Amino acid sequence: MCKVGMQCPNSDPNPEILKYLIIYQRCETAGVSKGALLEGQLVISIEALNSKHQANTLHCVTTIAAAGSIDGGLVLKKFLKDMQSVLPGFFANLNWTSEEASHSQDTSGLRPFQMIFEASFAADVKPRTLMTDSLVIKNFLRKVITVLPKIRFNFSVKVNGILSMEIFGAEKEPTLNLSNGIALVVNCQHYLSTPKFDTTELPCSRIHPVLGHPVMLFIPDDVVGMGLLGELTLTPAVALCPCPKVFSNQLNRISSPLYIFLYGPSGLPLIFPNSEQPTTPVFKDASYFIDWKKHHLCMVPNWDLSLDRGSVLPDVSYQVESSEGEDQSQDMGSQGQTVLLFLFVDFHREFPGQKMELWGVHTLLSTHLRAILRESHSVVQGCIQAAVDRALEQHHQAVKAHQKLQASLSVAVDSIMSIMTGSTNSTFRKTCLQTLQAADTQEFRTKLHKSFHEVTQHRFVYHCSQAVKQQLLPEKNEAEQNTDEAHENSSLELLAGTGEQTENKRLKRGSQGMEATRAFRSAGALNPSEAASRRAEPTAAPLTFSRSRTGSGSGLEDALWLQEISNLSEWLSSGPGP
Amino acid sequence: MAFTPRGPEASFFEVLDRHRASLLAALRRGGEEPAGGGMRLASSSEVLSSIEKIIQDIVTSLARNEAPAFTIDNRSSWENIKFEDSVGLHMVSHCTTRKIKSDSPKSVKNFALILKIFSMIYKLVQSNTYATKRDIYYTDSQLFGNQTVVDNIINDISCMLKVPRRSLHILSTSKGLIAGDLKYLEEDGTKVNCTRATVSIIMCSCASTPYQTHLYLITDAKFLLIVEKDATFQRLLDDNFCNKMSPCIMVTVYYLLLPQGKGVPDLNTRLLIKKLWDTFHIPVFTLVDADPHGIEIMCIYKYGSMAMSFEAHNLTVPAIRWLGLLPSDIKRLNIPKGTLIPLTKRDQMKLDSILKRPYITCQPFWRKEMEIMADSKMKAEIQALTFLSSDYLSRVYLPNKLKFGGWI
Repeated sequence: MCKVGMQCPNSDPNPEILKYLIIYQRCETAGVSKGALLEGQLVISIEALNSKHQANTLHCVTTIAAAGSIDGGLVLKKFLKDMQSVLPGFFANLNWTSEEASHSQDTSGLRPFQMIFEASFAADVKPRTLMTDSLVIKNFLRKVITVLPKIRFNFSVKVNGILSMEIFGAEKEPTLNLSNGIALVVNCQHYLSTPKFDTTELPCSRIHPVLGHPVMLFIPDDVVGMGLLGELTLTPAVALCPCPKVFSNQLNRISSPLYIFLYGPSGLPLIFPNSEQPTTPVFKDASYFIDWKKHHLCMVPNWDLSLDRGSVLPDVSYQVESSEGEDQSQDMGSQGQTVLLFLFVDFHREFPGQKMELWGVHTLLSTHLRAILRESHSVVQGCIQAAVDRALEQHHQAVKAHQKLQASLSVAVDSIMSIMTGSTNSTFRKTCLQTLQAADTQEFRTKLHKSFHEVTQHRFVYHCSQAVKQQLLPEKNEAEQNTDEAHENSSLELLAGTGEQTENKRLKRGSQGMEATRAFRSAGALNPSEAASRRAEPTAAPLTFSRSRTGSGSGLEDALWLQEISNLSEWLSSGPGP
Repeated sequence: MAFTPRGPEASFFEVLDRHRASLLAALRRGGEEPAGGGMRLASSSEVLSSIEKIIQDIVTSLARNEAPAFTIDNRSSWENIKFEDSVGLHMVSHCTTRKIKSDSPKSVKNFALILKIFSMIYKLVQSNTYATKRDIYYTDSQLFGNQTVVDNIINDISCMLKVPRRSLHILSTSKGLIAGDLKYLEEDGTKVNCTRATVSIIMCSCASTPYQTHLYLITDAKFLLIVEKDATFQRLLDDNFCNKMSPCIMVTVYYLLLPQGKGVPDLNTRLLIKKLWDTFHIPVFTLVDADPHGIEIMCIYKYGSMAMSFEAHNLTVPAIRWLGLLPSDIKRLNIPKGTLIPLTKRDQMKLDSILKRPYITCQPFWRKEMEIMADSKMKAEIQALTFLSSDYLSRVYLPNKLKFGGWI
C-alpha cells in the first residue's frame, strides 16, 4: 500500500490530484489497448475531527487511494515523483506505501497487475469550507464518470465519527462511445435535478446525443506562447433531456435551461478558474455560438446554480427567457426539456508530451478556453449550431409525431366509444366494460385511452432502448472502422480554416497517434446507430463522419432504429393516406 | 307487361337468339352460379354483430396490454387473384394479408380511420340509412385527406367482413345512364321507365341496395349494349337507335361524373348489368373504341378488376362479347387512315399488360384483334365511323353486326 502524507494549503487539492491520476492512467493505457475505456477505482476519504488548536475548525485528513489494471507495469516511485514535482505544495511530507496486489494473465498475453496507491494529506478547515469542498469534489466526480464511466469513485466524509459515503460510477450504464477512451453516459438521471423529474416514471430514461462535426480550434498566439502546443479540436454533442420520443403533454417544448458541459483531453472536466461572470461574450452571451431565434427561443445566462444539485453541475447554464409565439403567461416553470450541450476539446493528434505536461496543458486550457473559443468563433459557432439544430429538429419531429399519434388515438377511442355507447346489445356493452374493468362508459373511455397510450409508448421505449443498446456494441470495432474518408474530408475542412495560427512544430507521435485522431475525428461515426439515424433522417444536415460510418460497412446498424426514423418521416409526410 | 312493337322484324334477331341459347346452354353445362356468388349479402344484425366482435377483440387486446391490429387481405396483389372463365378475376380463398397496427407510427392513423368508418357504418346499418362514399368522405374531409383513402378503407372493410359494400349501407354514386326497353321499381316505389326513345335515365342506386326479390325489373330486350362513351351513347339516342333496334337496352357511364375514370364503370352500373344478365340472360355486347383503354374497360365489365376482385361474383359478366369497334374493322371498312391515331407509349404498355393477363388465353379472337392493333401501332375511336357517313354507326355498322353475329 502506498501512502503519501503531506501538509497542504487550505485550497482543495483533491480535484488536481484526481485529474493527474486519471491523466496518468490514460497515458499508460493509451499505448496498449486502443479504444479501451479507462478502468479503475479511486477512493477518496476525508476524516475530520474537531481541531485541538483552533475553535470552530476541523482537522481534515484526506486520503486518496487508487487501484487499477495497468498493462506494462507502473513504477510507483516515478509516478509519485511526477506528482511531487507537479504539486510541490501538496507533498511536503510524502508518506506513501505501494503494493502489487496481483498478477494475472489475460488471453491477449498482456500481464496486468493491480496497482494500489494511497496518498493522504491534512488540513485545518472551517466546517462550511469542508462542506463546500465536499460538494466540489462530488461535482467533479459526477462530471468525470459521465465520460469515464468505468472509473469508480468511493467518496466518504467522516466528521467527528459520523460517516457519509457515496459511490460514483456508471460502469453498467448505457453509454455513447465518443473517442478513444471516452464514452458519454446517456442515462438522463445524471443530468436532471432530482426534484424536477422522477426518472423512474419516465418510459425512456436515456438521452440520445446528436454528435456534431469536430472542428479545429485556433489558439491565440499569446496562449501558444504560454506553452499550449499542438492542434486542438472541438466536438459538440447535443441531447435533449428527457428523451423527446416519449412524452407526456407537458414535455412538448423547450422550457428548461440549456446546460453546457466542458471536457478537455482525456475526458477530464475543464473547470473555469473562478466562478465569476466572464468578461468576454463567450458563454456570457447565450447567442454567441447559437442562434436561438430560429428555434423561437430566447436564452439568457443563468449564473445562479446551486452546487448541491444531485446531478452534474453544468459549467455554463442558460435559461429560457421566453419563447416566441408562446403565451407569456404560461407557466415557464412547468416541466419541459433541457438542452444538454457537451463540448469536448481534445488534441488533433495524440498528445506527445509527458504526462505532467498534459496536466499543465489541461490547466492552461481551463484558464484560456474562452480566449481560444473566441478566436475560433466562426467554426465553433458553425459546428455547435449544426448539432443544436439537428437535436432540436429531432425534438420538433418527435413533437409532431407525438401529436399525430395522439390525434389518431383520439379518433380510435371516439370511434370505439361511438359503437359501444350506441349499441343496443347489452351483452356486448357489458363485455367491453368488464374487459377493461370499468364501472361505466366514462371510466371505460378513460381506460381505453390509457391502454392505447401504454401500448404505443411501449413501442417507442423499445426503439429507444434498442438504439442505445447498439451504441454499446461498437467498442471493440471502433479502431477497425474505416475512417479514411471522414479523416480526409474533415482534414480538408478543418485545415482550410487553420491558417497560420497553429505552431508548426513537429510533435512526438504516440504509437496510436493517427488511430486515436481518426477515432476521435469520427467520433460520431463511432456510434453506428446515431450515424444510421442521421442517414435515414431526410432533414438532417449531412455530416462528414456520417459518411465515414456509412463507408465503414458496420454490421451494427440498428434496423429498428432506422425503421423508427423512417417512420418519423412517414409521420411528417404531407399526405395523410394510409 | 306488353310493349308497343318497334324495331326490326323478328328474323333480324335470329343470330342473337341463337347466341342467347348457346349462352344458356353453357350456363347449364357449367352449373349456374347463384346470385351473390362468393360474397353473400348480410343482414343488418349480422353486420352489427361482426362490427361488435371486432371492437370486442380490440378491447381484449388492450386489456392484455397488446397493441390491437387489423388483419386485411391484400386485395390488390396478383398473388391473391385467380382467373376462372365462369367468373373472371376473383380473390383466392386463402390469400396473403397485411396488418394495420395501432402501435406503429406508419399505420396508426390508418388504424384509427378504419375504426372511424366502422363507427359510421355501424350507425348507418343501425338506423337503416344509406350514404355514399362521397358522403362519408365529406363528414370529415380534413381527417380523411382524400377520397381514395375512404374508398380503400371501405373496400378493405367489405373484404374483412366478407360482405358486399351495399350490406354496409354504403352506396356508390351512380354514374350510369340507361335507355331502352327496361322498367323497374325503385326502393321508394317509384316506377322508372327507360323506354323513352331519345332520353336516357340516370341510373339509380337500386342495384346496389340489398338484393330484394320484390324489386321488379321488366324487359323484353334482345340484347344489352354497353357503350364506352356517353357522346356515342347520346348520338345513338339522337339516331333513335333504341327504337330501331327495339327491344334493346343501352348503357353508358357519364364522363363528367368520372373525369378521371373516362368510361371506367362504377359499381352501380356493373351491378345492374350483372342483375340483368342473372335475371334475364340478355346477351351483352360492348361498343368501345379500338384502343387499349376501350379494351380494358370491356375487360372490367367482363372479367372484373383487381381492386374489386373480392366482389367479382356479384359484378362480372363473363358472357359479354366484343361487338366493336374491332381493329380488324378498320381495314375491313377502309376507314380513312387520317382518322386513325398512333398508339402512344402508354397505349403500348397497356396493350402489353392486357395481353399478359390470364383471361386473354381464353379469348384467341380478342388476342388476334389486339395483335392487329399492336402491329399497326394505330388506334381508332368509334367516331372514325362518321367519316364513312354521319349515321353509319347506327344505320349500318351496329345493325349489321347484330344481325350477322359480328361479335367476338
